[in-house]
Amino acid sequence: MRHLRAERPVSPPRRQDVSRELWQDGIVAHARRIKAGKLSPVQLTQHYLDRIGRLDRKLSAFTHVSRSALETAAAAEKDIKAGRLRGPLHGVPIAIKDNYLTADMPTTAGTTAPGIAFARRDCAAAARLRRAGAVLIGKTRTHEFAWGNVTHPARNPWDLDRVPSGSSGGSGAAVAAGLCPAGMGSDTGGSIRMPASVCGTVGIKPTFGRVSREGIVPHSWSLDHPGPLTRSVADAALLMNVLAGYDPADPACQDRPVPDYAKALGKPVDGLRVGVCRNHFFERNDEDVEKAVEKAISDLASAGASIHEFRIPRLEYGLAAIFAIELASSTAYHDVSLREGRVAHYSPDVRTLVEMGRFVTAPDYLKAEQLRSLLMDDFRKAFESVDVIVGPTMPITAWKVGEWTVKVEDRDESVLSASWRFTFPYNLTGLPAISVPCGFDRRGLPIGLQIAGRPFDEATVLQVADAYERTHDWKDRTPPL
Amino acid sequence: MNDIPPLDPWTDVLGVELDPERRGIVLEAFRDVLAEIRKLRALDLTEVHPCVIFEPSAPYRRLAGKT
Repeated sequence: MRHLRAERPVSPPRRQDVSRELWQDGIVAHARRIKAGKLSPVQLTQHYLDRIGRLDRKLSAFTHVSRSALETAAAAEKDIKAGRLRGPLHGVPIAIKDNYLTADMPTTAGTTAPGIAFARRDCAAAARLRRAGAVLIGKTRTHEFAWGNVTHPARNPWDLDRVPSGSSGGSGAAVAAGLCPAGMGSDTGGSIRMPASVCGTVGIKPTFGRVSREGIVPHSWSLDHPGPLTRSVADAALLMNVLAGYDPADPACQDRPVPDYAKALGKPVDGLRVGVCRNHFFERNDEDVEKAVEKAISDLASAGASIHEFRIPRLEYGLAAIFAIELASSTAYHDVSLREGRVAHYSPDVRTLVEMGRFVTAPDYLKAEQLRSLLMDDFRKAFESVDVIVGPTMPITAWKVGEWTVKVEDRDESVLSASWRFTFPYNLTGLPAISVPCGFDRRGLPIGLQIAGRPFDEATVLQVADAYERTHDWKDRTPPL
Repeated sequence: MNDIPPLDPWTDVLGVELDPERRGIVLEAFRDVLAEIRKLRALDLTEVHPCVIFEPSAPYRRLAGKT
């Protein structure tokens, strides 16, 4: 078995000169120590609450911190002392995006518009996390109605002048800064993977229908995917074991067996066929991003994976398709708010997008759904000769707060079109895709590698991501807060 | 003589109830999106079934899952 070699970053960020602290560990390590009686859930929860209290004024990653988290942790502690293990997340604090309904914390979906209120009950994902023993520590900031890539006023822990992207920017910033070991996100065009990429965390968007969307404020019904942002691939696998499964309350959720995703970890990649789609994903990238991703591909080849290059020319029409579907769906969801004038109280960018959906015609929408069928088939054909497809998660790294255009290969481009260019194809096709850190740019900002797989083959995606992650120390680097 | 007022293409047909100034702002923001959608409009997709699938049994499936 050959192994991937450790690689130096393009520009190594400053390492923290401190002994390892609790927050630098992930949920697998926490859960193991709690189960062994070596870590108190109360101590762990207090540790994260202290960090939130100390650091979140800089990051604005949380919109609400749970008042009952310590109480829940104390109950978990009592149970573990009595030998009662609730599940694989027993006593582990997890943050949850503010568009997931929760019984003990308010949900705002990032809006302050009057006349909009959400139920105080647990969505399916929150219920699953609690059943597995998790302590829901707080709600993380979302771009309003999960419609955007900035998540104002949250900041990127690697550079406080920069955005954590979005719409799950609060979870990205919170996990990267060690304010929680994992945070839930939702991904309609890249909203888990983009914050993961620019914040230097892992973020997985499972197959559409793998994790229930029940009780998550809808953005676009056929594009929304719930999933976690974590410090490592192993943590993502553990959370997938908890979250995946059939839920009849979600019309899209599929009744399929759920494998043990942890079994995908620690396996070599030799013999696997790694696909690289050379058009679309490699046509216009920041130089440092391209270099880091090409290096990651050659690392996978060095480890014994075979690399297969191909093209999907129809991706040229993908942006039109996702615009038509997302805009029309969002406007349909917000229709009553539009008619009753509440949309005027949305933030300017979200208001414009919600109002714009009326300009998408019904034939535009259906042609987008036709194009989607073709793209799904194009990817199916590609997966006849490859096991995963790799490429950059984003063409850029974190951009500055207030910056609406970025320079990519000497060309000005709006961040709206650049940021999600490589992530939205997997929302249109519903395929599982993960972002893992694969280096840093010359300014010390994280770069993400995206790995996508066949429908419901999260296991192979996690296997490749884990194999890559194990031979680099990117995940152990921490922002200089 | 027909007393029925003509339909307004914005409010009646498209359901866009924005004042002219606001409509201008949103239209301008739509320009880049429209450039993409025009590419889609130019495609011949006559023989392609959209990926939206009507499933009459869905309510029964959901009901069965609750039992």
